[in-house]
Amino acid sequence: MTTALLLLLLAVGAYLVAVIEDWTTSGRFRLAAPAFAALALLGRESIVPRKSDRVFFETAPVLLLISALLAATVIPLTANLIITDLATGALFINAALVYVLVALLMAGWGPNGAYAMIGGWRFLGQLIAYAMLIVMPITAVVMRAESLLTTQIVVSQAGLWNIVYQPLGFILFFVASMALAFLPPFDLTTAKGELAGGVEAEYSGARLAVFRLGRLVLIITLAAAIVVFYLGGWQGPWLPPWAWSAIKILAVTTMMLLAGRYMPRIRETDLLGWCWMLGIPLALLNILLVGLLVLVLP
Amino acid sequence: MILGARLGRPSKLRRLIAAAMARDLTTFLIPGPEVVRTYGLDVDAAGLKVVASPRHASVLLVAGVTISPALRDAAAVIYAQMMRPRAIFALGAGELSPLPTADVIAGLSQQGLIQGVRQLREAFAEGAFRPDVSDFDAPILHVRIEYTCPMHPEVVQNEPGSCPKCGMFLVPRDVQVKSSHGHHDHTHSQEHQHHNVDHDDAAVEYTCPMHPEVVQSEPGSCPKCGMFLEPRKTRAELPADHHQHAHSPEHEGHGMAHDAVVEYTCPMHPEVRQNEPGSCPKCGMNLVPNETQDAQTHEHAGMDSATDHGSMDHSGMDHEDMAFMSMVDVTKDLPRSSDGLPMEWIDAPFGPFFPGLPGGLLLTLTLDGDTVAGSAARPLTNNLDLSQHPSTDSTSFIEQLAGMDPLAPIAYRLLACRALENAAGLDVPVSTAAARIGALERERITSHLGWLALFGQQTGFNWLMQHAASLQLACLHADVTQAMVLKPVMQTLIKRLQRTPLLKSRTEGIGRLTADTALRGPVVRAAGINNDARSMETTYTTLGFTPVSREGGDALARLHVRLDEVSHSLALIEAAGAIELPALADIGDVSGTGEAVVETPRGMARLQLTLERGQVITAQLETPSTHHITLINSLTEQQSLGDALVAVGSLDLSPWEIRQ
Repeated sequence: MTTALLLLLLAVGAYLVAVIEDWTTSGRFRLAAPAFAALALLGRESIVPRKSDRVFFETAPVLLLISALLAATVIPLTANLIITDLATGALFINAALVYVLVALLMAGWGPNGAYAMIGGWRFLGQLIAYAMLIVMPITAVVMRAESLLTTQIVVSQAGLWNIVYQPLGFILFFVASMALAFLPPFDLTTAKGELAGGVEAEYSGARLAVFRLGRLVLIITLAAAIVVFYLGGWQGPWLPPWAWSAIKILAVTTMMLLAGRYMPRIRETDLLGWCWMLGIPLALLNILLVGLLVLVLP
Repeated sequence: MILGARLGRPSKLRRLIAAAMARDLTTFLIPGPEVVRTYGLDVDAAGLKVVASPRHASVLLVAGVTISPALRDAAAVIYAQMMRPRAIFALGAGELSPLPTADVIAGLSQQGLIQGVRQLREAFAEGAFRPDVSDFDAPILHVRIEYTCPMHPEVVQNEPGSCPKCGMFLVPRDVQVKSSHGHHDHTHSQEHQHHNVDHDDAAVEYTCPMHPEVVQSEPGSCPKCGMFLEPRKTRAELPADHHQHAHSPEHEGHGMAHDAVVEYTCPMHPEVRQNEPGSCPKCGMNLVPNETQDAQTHEHAGMDSATDHGSMDHSGMDHEDMAFMSMVDVTKDLPRSSDGLPMEWIDAPFGPFFPGLPGGLLLTLTLDGDTVAGSAARPLTNNLDLSQHPSTDSTSFIEQLAGMDPLAPIAYRLLACRALENAAGLDVPVSTAAARIGALERERITSHLGWLALFGQQTGFNWLMQHAASLQLACLHADVTQAMVLKPVMQTLIKRLQRTPLLKSRTEGIGRLTADTALRGPVVRAAGINNDARSMETTYTTLGFTPVSREGGDALARLHVRLDEVSHSLALIEAAGAIELPALADIGDVSGTGEAVVETPRGMARLQLTLERGQVITAQLETPSTHHITLINSLTEQQSLGDALVAVGSLDLSPWEIRQ
């Protein structure tokens, strides 16, 4: 029952992400536009390119969707509204999302096209950049909660949200999440002006629809993870817990989608260089600071 | 009804889907968004969504009349890659073949566009699915398969088989049947061709994977173990002692051998090279060893196992996992690019309708992973024939030149007028000269805004793309008062760009050029040279024109020069006080020669012509992009793909004005 409800909510959430994304790119707020776009995609031909690696080509969009769905299973919307409150929840999010890389590499290799293949390679480099910045901030969050349970992480923020307790971790995790969801300015793998769509370029019709759905679910899942780790999850005054979760998740989603609109795409070398030479030392500093705070504060 | 309908009998569900498709029309623009905008068309406002890949488009919009046969062929390839249901929407276009007849034809205006979109929606709602559909076919789409040897590119035959030189299996590749072109225009084509590495000076010898001491010049089997010998390359003039090294420890994973001549280079700064290990003086990273050109010929037998990776002492561990053909070995013979990662080389076409480059330009990049190992660029646009057979009268000559380049029609109209006036000995009144300058400067602004929009599109800077595009459309036919209204908006745009995050790191140091006589316009002024044809014109000096330049010579400096020029052009329009399109008074039956120079938005263009009794008999045109396109090779060499595209884009080439 809870699972069905959460999957339904996830579908609604993904749809809203599509509406927000349409609004941030076109400047128009159209509630029906994603529905038309999805129907049109389903009605269009979906071909498999010549000389493609059929298994990879077919699997990649589904794998992307599954990877995002798996991560969503450990996200609590209220204290009880969670598919499975895994004892290793915080780690599980990270583990599930590793398959995003696999899916994108397969989508890049599968169609046997130059643009797609470069897109796939680029994401491999991107993983090397963002991966540590996903894990290390989570470590600091877990240190404070003294638990890997995502529900316990939310409860640990009752007095003070992590965004105030460890702002450095929040910034790093937010940026790394955008890179993981290949949102602009980290859309190196689907770059329109550089790779004509990259890993998406050869997908069409129903397969493209699944790929895009997977991406939307990935975005909303990551936004929800940010809310759970840093924004106190369902906690808040006056409104019921589910409403707080919804408001926070949509606000974070909007921020993630809006940020890339106002800057050019990052260079790969810069992304790698900054993540390793600046991001990782900062993440270590964050762990150190949180460790000290945990010791000092009662 | 649309020609490219999808096969299927109409049903309730299909009608619903067709209705959704009619609401969600995605389009791919021919020749490109920047050209479409110069016709004053706002595709977005008309309800069409522009997409980057033909696979995602349902409407192919062809705009304008100057579509060359080569571009039409390329458009046919694009159309063939679109998914059904698909439609062709021609806006003022003439001949479209080999594309099929357009489903909707409209005039080249915003009204025509809006009307056409309405018709398209109806056509999709009614005829997206049809029980009878026909295939699209064009000569350009025909490919036949031929077989070639991976080691000997000169071996080509129509049947599969083995190479007469080395005995390797021949590999299939696609060739276009249409021979009249002799080039591949397969934009977005799915196949990537394996690059044939040319080792002119290399000979092939055969060696056993297990016994490197066995080396012979013919294929055969190993006398010690009976395995097939494998071909490998060696440089003929080198002493054949290289096989001695076969058992020495190797760091195959890093693409180097300890016993070879090694030099050390920074992974981030390929220009840093030294003979000892150490750290990079620029970024402090540890230098990585890199085989020099000579050392690369010290090839080892091709089957060192992948277990070598990272292990320092493994002399005894070579040749394990014999069945495993590691990527390291496969790529051993390939030249290395600056990032040191050897990868399979692929030739990828970027253009002639690539979303991040000017439409009509075909850029072919040889990619080694993400690094550009080589490039070739050429325009597929019509090359206007100025030899004038038979001779042309002055009016149609002006129209011809003005219609040549959709990205700078006014500049070339002015150039033609000035050259004709010069030949006829006519003087232009001061007020007219100033008003012409108003028109030329307005075009400079719209051209630079169009470039900004293209730059925004290339780098995924959406806000810039939309904002610059709408400003360009607003400024296209603006009079002086309207231009002054737009002035604060443009200044805000310029200010905003100066504090945009990531913009500096995206462009700084990219596409660096040193001042050179071949450079023109903003490109040379960004390299610190005050070279501007306008500074020699008295009309400009009286309007208060002072040329500007910037140091740097990179993409960032070119961006800033263009932004500066937008401000200065606004000031010039204000000073000129009028905007008037250049027109020629009746020159009568004069004869003579004339020459004129105009600083177009891309740089100085020069026209020389001969008049005979009022008819143009010869003309010679020199344009800035003709010079700039030759720079592409050096600008993109060993750059990462993203940087290479920014470097090419920063030149602001107009393929339409390139003279071959």
